[in-house]
Amino acid sequence: MRVIKQRPMNWVERLYVFEAIRGLWTTLKHAARGLFRYETLPTISYPEGQPEIRNTYRARHRLMLRPDGTPRCVACGMCAAACPAHCIFIEATASDDPRIEKKVKRFDIDHLTCVFCGLCAEACPVDALRMDTKVISFEHRTRDEFVAHLEDLTAWDPKDYPEDEQSQVAPGGTKNAEARKVWGMEVK
Amino acid sequence: MSNYYNMPKLPTENSPKVEIFVDDKPVMVPGDTNLLEALKAVGIETPHVCYHPFLPVSGNCRQCLVEQEGPRGRMLVIACYTPVAPGMKIYTPASSARVKNARKATQEFMLVNHPLDCPICDKAGECTLQENYMEAGQNESRMRPEYGKNYHGNPEHQFIDAKGQVRGGKHVDLGPRVLLDEERCVQCDRCVRFMRSIAGSEQLQLAGRADHTYITTFPGEKLDHEYDLCVTDVCPVGAMTAKYFRFQKRVWLLSHTPTISMDDSLGANIWLDHADGHIYRVMPRCNPEVNRSWLSNTSRLAFQNFDKNRLPAIDVESLPIGKGKIALVAGGSCTMEDLAALRMFKESLGDGAELFGGSLLKVGAPDGIAKSGDPVANRSGMKLMGFADVSEFMKRASEFETLVTVNADLFGEDAAVAKDLEKINCRIALSAFDDATARKATIAIGVRHWSEVQGTMVNSLNIIQKLNACPVCPDENLEAAYEVISELAGNKLESASAAFAKATEYASALAGLTYDSIKSTGKLLEGGNA
Repeated sequence: MRVIKQRPMNWVERLYVFEAIRGLWTTLKHAARGLFRYETLPTISYPEGQPEIRNTYRARHRLMLRPDGTPRCVACGMCAAACPAHCIFIEATASDDPRIEKKVKRFDIDHLTCVFCGLCAEACPVDALRMDTKVISFEHRTRDEFVAHLEDLTAWDPKDYPEDEQSQVAPGGTKNAEARKVWGMEVK
Repeated sequence: MSNYYNMPKLPTENSPKVEIFVDDKPVMVPGDTNLLEALKAVGIETPHVCYHPFLPVSGNCRQCLVEQEGPRGRMLVIACYTPVAPGMKIYTPASSARVKNARKATQEFMLVNHPLDCPICDKAGECTLQENYMEAGQNESRMRPEYGKNYHGNPEHQFIDAKGQVRGGKHVDLGPRVLLDEERCVQCDRCVRFMRSIAGSEQLQLAGRADHTYITTFPGEKLDHEYDLCVTDVCPVGAMTAKYFRFQKRVWLLSHTPTISMDDSLGANIWLDHADGHIYRVMPRCNPEVNRSWLSNTSRLAFQNFDKNRLPAIDVESLPIGKGKIALVAGGSCTMEDLAALRMFKESLGDGAELFGGSLLKVGAPDGIAKSGDPVANRSGMKLMGFADVSEFMKRASEFETLVTVNADLFGEDAAVAKDLEKINCRIALSAFDDATARKATIAIGVRHWSEVQGTMVNSLNIIQKLNACPVCPDENLEAAYEVISELAGNKLESASAAFAKATEYASALAGLTYDSIKSTGKLLEGGNA
């Protein structure tokens, strides 16, 4: 059996005050930094401060629009087939536009089930589904509100995507009707 | 191309076996058939587009090329139109690079002008071109986007699409039930041959020549025939689409239940294609003895009413049956199991009960394709089980004091004749639907529809065929008719095989059969074709 004898404390240590300050030194240092040199802290104070999100980040989905304001989605179901979480629900119908065969009637993404893997956006043959909205927070009161419908997915503003040319020709979800008139592409 | 072609000779169990050499290996194949079927019989699949086993061979797709050793060396021949000869030497892609290249080139030519529509095509997933591409093609695309596709079908239907490209007619209205996509058409001629040789009404034609060929109807006429939806089945690509199924569901999401269409005594073999508890379409199931690959529109579209107007399940301990005579009437869609349960019920009721089966509908003439014209599907089964015809019951209706109908909508079928039945005080209806008889009944008990039950039926050719339950029952408390009836008889039959075992006791023709021994294509009962 080995007995380790502790060194007896000297009188400075026995005074307690100086040792307490030494023990709290790191904490006090960071507290002072938070008070006087806030910007150098390695953390961000979410939600006041928002993280920088890159273009490749897989965030909330959006559906791209044709210049006439209709969703590009042709309801082929490739995204639903690729989805490992089975969170995409699509119903198709015949298009009103004689030049286009098939259009989407229902496009629901259940964000409570979604794992944000990005396979759906990768599978899309017409580049309709993208995950570049940079929306990372999902806060809703009921479970139903977490399901994004067709109108939610198409309601995005071209101003939010200044670098993307294809987003600029698309009018944005709420302006679809006006856009059809502007483009002279009122569907028959 | 508008010539008459010969029907292919299909191998049967009695085909003479001959020895041929496939890739220099001797194999025994059926000797009275074509090479494609012979190779299939030994497990070698040959990709093909225009060949269909129940349509005349036209041999225009050239996809089924094989090499044959002939007097002038090895030649490429089409397997679908080459009869098997003893000792012939055949080379498949397994040994011949030439066959492989030829098939690949054919495949490439076929795809050159085929639109890349797979994402929006209803046929995607069960498309012959897709299958052939995986088997024989897999070539790099040599398509130059600046030239685009060259085939656009009927010039009258061309249009400029949203991207500014010339496109062919994408939804040409052929008739009340079928749409044609001219771009997707590969001119395999199958629909034309079907309408000409099987339907017997030549409503479709190939118009134009060479690479301007397109499918069309005669001017001012429409494709309208009892079997016109079969052209959507035979179409190897998505050119012919059925309006009722268009864009409803991607086909790989559908599950398939093999069963029998119980609206005709031929008992056409069908697939019930269902997903999320709904039937989306009914497809013919190949049975060379019965309906081959065909199905009438009536049987095909009947599913749209299967889940409508249904009766709820009622828990019935016993029926308020009077003392007088009791008539037990089985409808046309009753399975053998239902009939067996009815006989059990009759025995439990004693001498006053009598069994009848059939319907008041008129028996039509067989059309020689997939309908016998008799709306009582299980009429042969009723004969085997000793059920008298319902006309017998109508003559003596006044004798009875109680009427129990099982899936027999006597009032709905012929209200004028059935009016006399209202004199019968106690009318009990077991039915899937809330039909006229159920509404007039004292008690109406909901049972499962024939699409939702296990069972068997004997068709007009004396073939016993098996029904399978499609999991689309709208109410889980509903039970099959045989379960309800046998429970009333005091000895509940828990499964179809138990009920079938009961049926074999009553019908001597079924002796020795078990439910599980009946194959999916049915079994010809002793006595042969009636």
